[in-house]
Amino acid sequence: MAQIICQYRKGDDARWISHLDVKRTLERAMRRAQLPLALTEGHNPHPKLSFGPPLSVGITGSAEMFAIHLESTLAPDAVKERLNAQLPPGLQILEAWVLPGYRKKETFGEIDVAEYEVMFGGIGADEVEARIADLLAREQLMVQRGGDRPERSIDVRPFILTVSVMGSTDGEVSLRMRLRTGSHGGARPQEIVELLGLHEGDGLVRCHRTGLYASQQETPRPAAQTRRRWSQTRGRRS
Amino acid sequence: MDLDLDVILPRVQKPARYTGGEWNAIRKDPASVRARVALCYPDSYEVGMSHLGLQVLYHVLNSHPDFAAERCFAPWPDMEQELRSRNLPLFSLESRTPLREFDAIGITLPYELTYTNVLNMLDLAGVPVRAADRGPGDPLIVGGGPGAVNPEPLAAFFDGILIGEGEDAILEIAEAAALRDRRAALDSLAQIEGMYVPSLYRHAPAGPGPLGVVTPLNGAPVHIPRRFVADLDAALFPTHQIVPFIETVHSRVTLEIMRGCTRGCRFCQAHAAYAPRRQRSIETILRQAEEAVAATGYDEISLLAFTSVDYHDIEGLVSALVERFGERGIGVALPSLRVDAFSVTLANKIQEVRKSGLTFAPEAGTQRLRDVIRKQVTEDDLFAAADAAFSSGWHRIKLYFMIGLPTETDEDVEAIGDLVNRLVAFGRGALGTRRGRLQIGVSVAAFVPKPHTPFQWMAQDEMEVIAHKQRIIQRALRDRAIKLSWTDPKVSALEASISRGDRRIGDAIEAAWRMGSTFDAWNERFDFERWQRAFQEAGVAIHDYANTPLGFDAPLAWDHVDCGNEKDALRREAERALSGEAI
Repeated sequence: MAQIICQYRKGDDARWISHLDVKRTLERAMRRAQLPLALTEGHNPHPKLSFGPPLSVGITGSAEMFAIHLESTLAPDAVKERLNAQLPPGLQILEAWVLPGYRKKETFGEIDVAEYEVMFGGIGADEVEARIADLLAREQLMVQRGGDRPERSIDVRPFILTVSVMGSTDGEVSLRMRLRTGSHGGARPQEIVELLGLHEGDGLVRCHRTGLYASQQETPRPAAQTRRRWSQTRGRRS
Repeated sequence: MDLDLDVILPRVQKPARYTGGEWNAIRKDPASVRARVALCYPDSYEVGMSHLGLQVLYHVLNSHPDFAAERCFAPWPDMEQELRSRNLPLFSLESRTPLREFDAIGITLPYELTYTNVLNMLDLAGVPVRAADRGPGDPLIVGGGPGAVNPEPLAAFFDGILIGEGEDAILEIAEAAALRDRRAALDSLAQIEGMYVPSLYRHAPAGPGPLGVVTPLNGAPVHIPRRFVADLDAALFPTHQIVPFIETVHSRVTLEIMRGCTRGCRFCQAHAAYAPRRQRSIETILRQAEEAVAATGYDEISLLAFTSVDYHDIEGLVSALVERFGERGIGVALPSLRVDAFSVTLANKIQEVRKSGLTFAPEAGTQRLRDVIRKQVTEDDLFAAADAAFSSGWHRIKLYFMIGLPTETDEDVEAIGDLVNRLVAFGRGALGTRRGRLQIGVSVAAFVPKPHTPFQWMAQDEMEVIAHKQRIIQRALRDRAIKLSWTDPKVSALEASISRGDRRIGDAIEAAWRMGSTFDAWNERFDFERWQRAFQEAGVAIHDYANTPLGFDAPLAWDHVDCGNEKDALRREAERALSGEAI
């Protein structure tokens, strides 16, 4: 039994579907691809599938991750190829690798930092720089969270690691931000977008998650590097 | 358009309803085809994508090299508001093309309470809602589906309404649209077998309610025969069904194993709308099941038929499916069961894979009334079915009943309570130590008279009478194992008046829509007082259409539609019902 980690992209064509929809879509694609999936025991057997931190509806990402258990051995590249042939536009496996045998289970739970790129128009770069400086100078940044449940106030300031202007072209400014994520609390990119008033420009704000990191493991390491490290030290187990 | 959508989509619920791109969706180059057809469903994406008919037509059209079909569903009110406030037209999912730019717009007519959505979709598309107001640049607007057996309420809004099945006719409709000349296309539509072109007929009311004659003009046929596919086994069936990203009403492979129903319940329109009974062979179904599972990746197969148990070798079929797919973790579902022990034995076969509730429809509480409606089910059948279900491990059963049936008395209604209570006692005994888990769902709807059935002449009970009968049942069913649910009698009254409607009801539908009614089939959106105002504005009364018995000799608004049932035969059947003859 092998466990395969896949890093995937959720692109423009799929950004309006929820995390749960992505999960269902992947499960169906895996059945179409006839991957030798290991199923859970019990009345309602389903594939053993675990995911990295979910991506909010409307946001794209290229460092998204999930892990599957296979009943028999299949080269990670074959998993990637067969799955990609069955994925709808907007979802694509970028890399697949075997989880080394010494780790029984991938612990996506260790991921606690997410990096985003935000693009928007209608506000000049200098103005944005000033707003960022103002934002980071504050000791407390309260945001409302609720959805269906009663609203509550949360201070997201401790969850903002960095925010900086990357550049601007043709009136479009791009930002990079690193935010805490995961079970010990985090900030959502939309919250920072609103705190900075970026949506007040021409109304169009694009947000892309570029990286997920586990800061407690080794100082921030992108998922793709993890794969390289594993494949260097353990070799591709196929 | 795309830019505007990026601004709109974050503001609406479930944005993926409007973005398409699902697995198996087909996108063709518009330059490569002679006609583009937008297939519309007048309800939400989740409801429409669970409708097999739409997927059939989609694949018939797209399998043809000369035609392209795209989809569109009724936008939810939040999306409608965004579109209207920005002056954006309704668009197709596949290529985001404004609906107006298609050569034809085909709209499914699934149920009377979706009709305001039909008008709303046309309006959002920028197409005049009344056919008479359309000009050379407008697409051809064609309707079809179960509602077409009485096309009159929607006659004013459609260029053509297909009576019957669309698998073959849709290609002929596309040919007409390919002429790209409104006049010529309308002439060509009129030549299609089963096609009703309302502008070629004049409606002359002969009294209140659905009394009156629809007369052909300029040599149009007096009777429009309902179209049907002769060989279901050979008919195209979409195995590459579109797999929605978002959760829909049914997320599974649907296989139609049989079409038509021969049971002949006197209240039911299925016989008129879907006869004759045709079946697919086991070989064909197994082949289609393999293809569909491979093409979709679904983990459930559902067998579609009015009563799947009436399929010629349902045991053989279910065994073969379970044997083939069970160990791959793919379940088989059988949504339509008969009230008998055989059905339970059959359900037992499939519960090895997945367990779901069992539903039976005795419809009435006494044998006398079941004979009147020709529901060929006895109490013994019901108790045998329940016995088989309880002893096979089920502890949850759902029962469907109707109230307000012709000849019904308070005793018949009291008998529903009595029957259910005896079933509860029986269930407790049969379940023994598991008795605490017993659950009997009781769902009670009001009888709705439907055109082309023996009961088309009968009156629906007044709402106060329905309320009185509901109270009788409510008083009788107090056990905690019973879960009682109703269909709102106001909904049933509206359904009846549109179902038996003529062209004047079309005016009421338009008035209701202009006052803001859409998505009437959704409880939270249904506003009966507004509908009453709309009826009043149109100069018609719900009472005349729903609650008034019609004379056997009177001309009816749907007499020009030929569903294969002779009016005389329906009348004899109605008379037998009134005299209590079961057969």
